Amino acid sequence: MALLVVSMLIPLMKVLSDSFDRSTTYGINLWPQNPSIVAYKTIFSAKALYRPLLISFLTTASGTFLGLLFSTLGAYVLIQKDLIGRRFFAFFIFFTMIFSGGLVPTYLVIKNLGMTNTLWAVILPPSLNVYNMFLMKNFFEQIPESLFESASIDGASPMIVFARIVLPLSLPALASIGLFFGVQFWNDFFNYVIYITNTDLYNFQVKLRELILSEQNLTDPSIVGFGNSVRNAAIIVAMIPPMIIYPFCQRYFITGITMGAVKE
Amino acid sequence: MAKMKKLVVLLLVATIVVFSLAACSSSKPAGDDSSNQQTNGDNTGSNNEQTSESEKEVEKPSEIRFMIDGTFLLPDNGQEYLVKAFEEKTGIKLIVNQPAHNEYYEKVNLAFATEEIPDVVLLSGSHYLNYAMQGALYDITELYENSEVKNRIVDQAIVDAVRVNGRLYGLPKERGNGTVTYVRGDWLKKLGIDIPKNYNEFIDMLRKFANEDPDGNGKKDTIPLTAAGLINSEFPMDIYLREFYQTATPDFVQKDGKWVDGMTEPEMKEALKRLQDAYQEGLIDKEIVTNKTSTCRDKFYSGKVGVFNYWAGQWNENLIVNLTANVPEAEVTPIPAIEETYYIERAPVPLCITTAAKNPEGIFKYFFEYMLDSGEGQTLFTHGIEGITYEMKDGKMVKLPSIQNPDVPFNKMFIAGELSITDYQDPYEYSEPIVNSLKIFREKAVQYSLFPTSETLTQLLPELNSIKSQIVAKIVVDNYDIDQGLEEYKKLAKDYVDAILADLNK
Amino acid sequence: MQELNKRKKVWNKIKKDKFYYLMFLPVFVMTIIFNYIPMFGIRYAFYKFTPFKKEFIGLDNFKNIFFGINSQRFWLAFKNTIILSLSNLILGIIASVVLALLLNEVYNKKIRGAIQTIVYLPHFLSWVVTASIFTIILSPQGGFINSILEAMGKEPIYFLTSEKWWRPIFLLIYRWKETGWGTIIYLAAMTSINPQLYEAAEIDGAGRWRQTIYITIPALMPTILVVFVLNLGKVLNIFESVFVLYNSMVHNVADVIETFTYRIGMQQADYGLGTAIGLFKSLIAMILVLITNKVSQKVRGSDIL
Repeated sequence: MALLVVSMLIPLMKVLSDSFDRSTTYGINLWPQNPSIVAYKTIFSAKALYRPLLISFLTTASGTFLGLLFSTLGAYVLIQKDLIGRRFFAFFIFFTMIFSGGLVPTYLVIKNLGMTNTLWAVILPPSLNVYNMFLMKNFFEQIPESLFESASIDGASPMIVFARIVLPLSLPALASIGLFFGVQFWNDFFNYVIYITNTDLYNFQVKLRELILSEQNLTDPSIVGFGNSVRNAAIIVAMIPPMIIYPFCQRYFITGITMGAVKE
Repeated sequence: MAKMKKLVVLLLVATIVVFSLAACSSSKPAGDDSSNQQTNGDNTGSNNEQTSESEKEVEKPSEIRFMIDGTFLLPDNGQEYLVKAFEEKTGIKLIVNQPAHNEYYEKVNLAFATEEIPDVVLLSGSHYLNYAMQGALYDITELYENSEVKNRIVDQAIVDAVRVNGRLYGLPKERGNGTVTYVRGDWLKKLGIDIPKNYNEFIDMLRKFANEDPDGNGKKDTIPLTAAGLINSEFPMDIYLREFYQTATPDFVQKDGKWVDGMTEPEMKEALKRLQDAYQEGLIDKEIVTNKTSTCRDKFYSGKVGVFNYWAGQWNENLIVNLTANVPEAEVTPIPAIEETYYIERAPVPLCITTAAKNPEGIFKYFFEYMLDSGEGQTLFTHGIEGITYEMKDGKMVKLPSIQNPDVPFNKMFIAGELSITDYQDPYEYSEPIVNSLKIFREKAVQYSLFPTSETLTQLLPELNSIKSQIVAKIVVDNYDIDQGLEEYKKLAKDYVDAILADLNK
Repeated sequence: MQELNKRKKVWNKIKKDKFYYLMFLPVFVMTIIFNYIPMFGIRYAFYKFTPFKKEFIGLDNFKNIFFGINSQRFWLAFKNTIILSLSNLILGIIASVVLALLLNEVYNKKIRGAIQTIVYLPHFLSWVVTASIFTIILSPQGGFINSILEAMGKEPIYFLTSEKWWRPIFLLIYRWKETGWGTIIYLAAMTSINPQLYEAAEIDGAGRWRQTIYITIPALMPTILVVFVLNLGKVLNIFESVFVLYNSMVHNVADVIETFTYRIGMQQADYGLGTAIGLFKSLIAMILVLITNKVSQKVRGSDIL
């Protein structure tokens, strides 16, 4: 286990060390040769990054919320075994994971909805995630059936069962799938590039890429960049928010379980 | 209960959102079928009657929709100033659409496929040819021939490089430039080597770099020469490693008016032998096949590499800055092409007017000609605006700090001044490495034109090129017998080569 | 009369369940708008469809891929895709489940939290960065692994260009990057295991190992199967990871459908050809999923989805 953790850490240490290195080096360095924080200064002093950061937070929060909403709603309906049309719904949803119309037709739909150049284009379509919905459904199925039965005997409506029983009992599922959504929205750049031309609406990832590209560009000699350290610093900076959020989600993976108590 | 209320509200919001969307969607997303008739068809030369009476007043466009990649000044770096200054000077509003650099062509294709076609678009190499061939670009041949710009272009070969069957569908904004061989000058001095003039001297130099510990750390750990791959993935495939390829090329070439596959020509065999010998002797980076361009740069910056063939001009300075950060005494010396070979100047990247543009003559006259006017316009598109991006001190131009990163001076608006194609008297004095590397490069550089294209070619070339790099890598790295390797190539590539040659020699 | 009764019954049931349908409505409508309407685009698989023209050409795109000059290279890529993707999928599930089980054995909450955070971090590195780091580690000129080999008196190996080594190395790197992240779903699933089961097992004298085998793993099985099937649906889409680690020397073992498509599509924006390849991939994926589902029905008596 320790070995595993170390093997995970070394490459990450390289990125971290390179981000503090004013000079560009080649090889695995765990400590910068010319220590400097200029890369971080470059990133944080780039005022142009503040607005994108805000947009990233906004879209990640609302996207994750909508994503969880749709996947819990969908999943809840899909576990109703005797619901007429359930199998059709399941197939109806799953089908879209495998078959897709391609970029151009999807673009045209979004465009005709008037969603291009709005944040809707980067929030709404990706919040419908088949993969996550089926994972959610799998979690809901683990809830003991007796709970549903007793609730329906009490005459609770489906919505009350959903809100009172299903959601509270699925906190680990909400945490993990919420994490999936959060990271998906946080890391998204492709949807922005495709659907948004107004650069004021670009998110943090798109802007970071722009910043890094000025160094990375392979064919255009005229683009002079900030150096490698910025690229590495950008990777680190982009990791920070998920790292802060993760422990909060992690809590739910442990609280539900009483293994510790079993052991003693 | 409170929870319940919240939930109801939530659901309500969700449903409203969905319904409003559904309502919008009923306005029918089927526009894709009404697609582009107007971009189709043959419009070459159809609009050119008017220009023959060239005295006729050309109407000035009020706005130009301009699609451009990351080579144009970024919004964060003060793009608005350029747009504003251009409008003040010409009265034309420049509407810039600048997609993220890596996805640029994806967006250009999408724009054309969905009828959001700009007036002016920048298109490189194969994209330019493809778009021209499909009739998406306006033929500017006559406009160019009758224009003032033509007289200002210093070398017609640069413009001719982007002609398609003699016709022009775009105008270069600057030269295509190319790569020059950089050598560690301090190593040369230290080991007492002269700048190599021919292949034997070049190999001798590599040998000394490999064996005589040029970095003086007592270890045999230097890389005499590095490159990203043995073969470029597209035309020209032999742009790097010029000393080894010499006059051979893996591309298709014209010999006595007929196209042949360079791969199976006799000189290619010699080139492969040179590469194989040098690699097996340890004179070429062991990891040449897995190197990316960025890896090569990092290796060079870290001070372990002796020879690196890379862009002339601005990059000489970049290499120096990054290398001396690690090795303060290092020197980066561009060397003239050795006797047996020459450098390659790529075809420039042209700016094109699309057939969707309503007023191509106006765009050409008030945008293209202005940008390349060897005066005010060219200064604007090269250096920017006085007081914002540069200032004049004692008749000399001094760059002001960059808006995006005040620690470095402003670089350029759009046109790289040192690569200007006109007789523009540049008021800015470029640094010695930029001027010097360009001079050495141009002394013996051959201007390459674009490689022809056709439907067959676009379908088959990528896979054939991938077969070529497979075989070359096998021969060089795995020390595979050259004749046997080429036999294998002929077997694998036969269908491709036959089809392509039939198409080219048509 | 009976018919009418039955219909009425169905109708009553639907009416009774109206809230469920209402809850499903947003998902249903969005799916239609964002997924099904664009699916009309699938017809372009039978078109010559570029930014400049849209012309019906029947099966030409498919003929081109399956029987044209490029077909040999396409089938090679197809074979590689299946091999790489399937082994990656299966290894991925095994590795993540094992790691999740191991993590579950760490009782110190702080240590466990720290380990969990570390193992999931590589997920946030892009493939480009991952590839560049591993290229250095595996370098035949002074790379970490080869230094060890040399110290042991062995010849250095150029792993990334070796047809023998490339696939194992690729799978290893993929595991390095995604195993930690993959545990999340299993860790969450473990929380729903009834602790009484373990208590009972303890009383019966079952050790940790037996508890894992007889309680934890069976409890994880539904999740494992769902993950397997969902990923099976995307099995032919492997691209970026291969693209950044690919080089021409390992073409025969490394080239996959998406890298092939990328090369073909780089020069020409042929959406029609792209859609045709996409449709082919979708059909294969659908077949794989349906077979798996059938097997599951036979073996477990229930659908996976």
